[in-house]
Amino acid sequence: MTAHTARSSTTVNTVLGPVPADDLGVVAVHEALLSVVPGAEHAYDITMDRAEIFETLAKKLTDFRSHGGGTIVDSTGMFHGRDVRLYEALSRSTGVHIVASTGMGPEELLGGYFLTPQTNPPTPWPAEKFADLFTKEVTEGMVVPRVERRAAAGLVATAAATGGMTATEESLFRGAARTALATGVPVSVRYGADAVHDLDVVLDEKLPADRVVVGGLDRRDAVAAGAPLEVARRGAYVALDHVGLDDSDTYVTDRERAALVLDLVAAGHADRILLSGNATGVAKGQPAHDLPYSYVSSTFVPLAKSLGLGEEDARRVLVDNPRALLTLR
Amino acid sequence: MSRVNTVLGPIPAEELGVVAVHEHIGYGMPGSELDTKWWKTPEQRYEETVPKLRKFREYGGGTFVDVTGICNGRDIDYYKSLSAKTGVHIVACTGFVGGDTALPFFERAGVDYLTRQFVHEITVGIGDTGSKAGVIKVGVSRGGRMTELDKRIYRAAARAAVTTGVPILTHLAIDPEPAVAVFEEEGLPLDRVLFGHADDGVNADSTPAAWLAGLGGRIGFDTFGYETELEDPPFWARPRQERLDHFLDFVGKGFLDKALVSADANCSPLGWPGVKGHTVNYLFEDLIPDLRGAGLDEPTIRKLLEDNPADFLTIRD
Repeated sequence: MTAHTARSSTTVNTVLGPVPADDLGVVAVHEALLSVVPGAEHAYDITMDRAEIFETLAKKLTDFRSHGGGTIVDSTGMFHGRDVRLYEALSRSTGVHIVASTGMGPEELLGGYFLTPQTNPPTPWPAEKFADLFTKEVTEGMVVPRVERRAAAGLVATAAATGGMTATEESLFRGAARTALATGVPVSVRYGADAVHDLDVVLDEKLPADRVVVGGLDRRDAVAAGAPLEVARRGAYVALDHVGLDDSDTYVTDRERAALVLDLVAAGHADRILLSGNATGVAKGQPAHDLPYSYVSSTFVPLAKSLGLGEEDARRVLVDNPRALLTLR
Repeated sequence: MSRVNTVLGPIPAEELGVVAVHEHIGYGMPGSELDTKWWKTPEQRYEETVPKLRKFREYGGGTFVDVTGICNGRDIDYYKSLSAKTGVHIVACTGFVGGDTALPFFERAGVDYLTRQFVHEITVGIGDTGSKAGVIKVGVSRGGRMTELDKRIYRAAARAAVTTGVPILTHLAIDPEPAVAVFEEEGLPLDRVLFGHADDGVNADSTPAAWLAGLGGRIGFDTFGYETELEDPPFWARPRQERLDHFLDFVGKGFLDKALVSADANCSPLGWPGVKGHTVNYLFEDLIPDLRGAGLDEPTIRKLLEDNPADFLTIRD
């Protein structure tokens, strides 16, 4: 076995380079570090004080670590405030592994370059071009726009509009799947109207289901439709990633979330469950979702255990499942 | 007081000289910065840009109006260094090239917020650069009709123009009725608006230039040089003589006061290949000789390139 294959079969791409998958520890698999609504960086009344942003994020990461957290996945993609050099400094100074993502979506968050390019007619980008853009972020490194590339992206993230997947979003999903196939990183999708339909778009690209995590499956409509169980049956990871959101019309409560975890375990899918808080460490251009990254392990998992979640399954959900997902194939 | 905002501070309009009124240091669609196929080193950007601006200055050019909107790669600190080192006055804009170049943060914003954004950039400064915008850019999205977002941006621009006295330039003047209605509703005289790209190869036929000029609007024949005769012309190119005839016909109808000319060239494009052989210096190397050849006298040419833009750019009290 060559050094290369030994490494690639057991590592995860972090902003500081590949790390052994066994080093990840407890993983928060769907979070945001710096979250910037595209364009907000140009707003006259928004300041971007990097030192202040760093301090806020460092405190949150340190809290996460002090509660047993090992790895944060920033699943916001390449065009929502991702700041690779800031994340490198944060990871070095707090000791928390940071996995950053490539990808984009939903369509409404894309720049005009992808939607109305300077061609006649202005045809939106097809899957192949998105695949090429995202793949290079893994094989050549994540971009600091117009300046340089840094470390490889650890996953490719995309999303569809809640009203239903648009044509360009189908291109994004297919492009993301092709990147996963070409590079070995996993795909993280936020579905639009129909979780199973949107997952099937990715699977149609012949990507194995266990390379996909479907996020947002703690949405009330998805739970009512039985989507979490159906996604798990197909072999994809089920992310209940709004843990801590307890007063929403759109998402179920933590108690219902815990019940859902137990249902999935009872149905034999303990190896497909992921939990995360969808917190935003620092948000610009929209209100922050100011939830500690440690909330899942410090508050939610004890609740789930009190309702019957076993110790071994809890560890599986927090450590083993995200490790299997994030490990490069 | 006669005053125009440049990136290095306000200057008297009397100092503008020959003005290229609709140009780009470098333009890229939002998101193009993520695609390394367009990246250039800083050395390359300066190498592509500085000689063009120096030549513009040598030809007698005074002022370069950059209409690269917010989110399109507008880069004020870079413009400041270019202006200081070449002696070319550079006027920067606030606003957007079109709704489809406004990123989601601004797409979600209402008229009031957009107005505050534009007024802030004109009266306080752009970002932390201290440079104030001298013009407001608005435009029509791809597709030929004004979108709801386009109209929201036009309305905010009109309010900012009324408040600050800075004029508006448009990208395209097709489907102009909604635009004219917005300007009239907001009480902005149409001589504070330059309706641009009246001459481009795709849109000339659907741009009612005489109607707009009759209402008092200014008309931009501002894609001079995008010619089908070029080695690799863009899709909006047009035969050289046809454009010139179009322009001379417009002036011949008595609209000299309303006419403005420019080349809409990129010194160093940011998110597209650009058009080989086309620069701002078309104005001196080709257009002025063509105008002379067509019989225009020097006072007329001076009016087109100096007096009209000075009147347009001067901030109204």
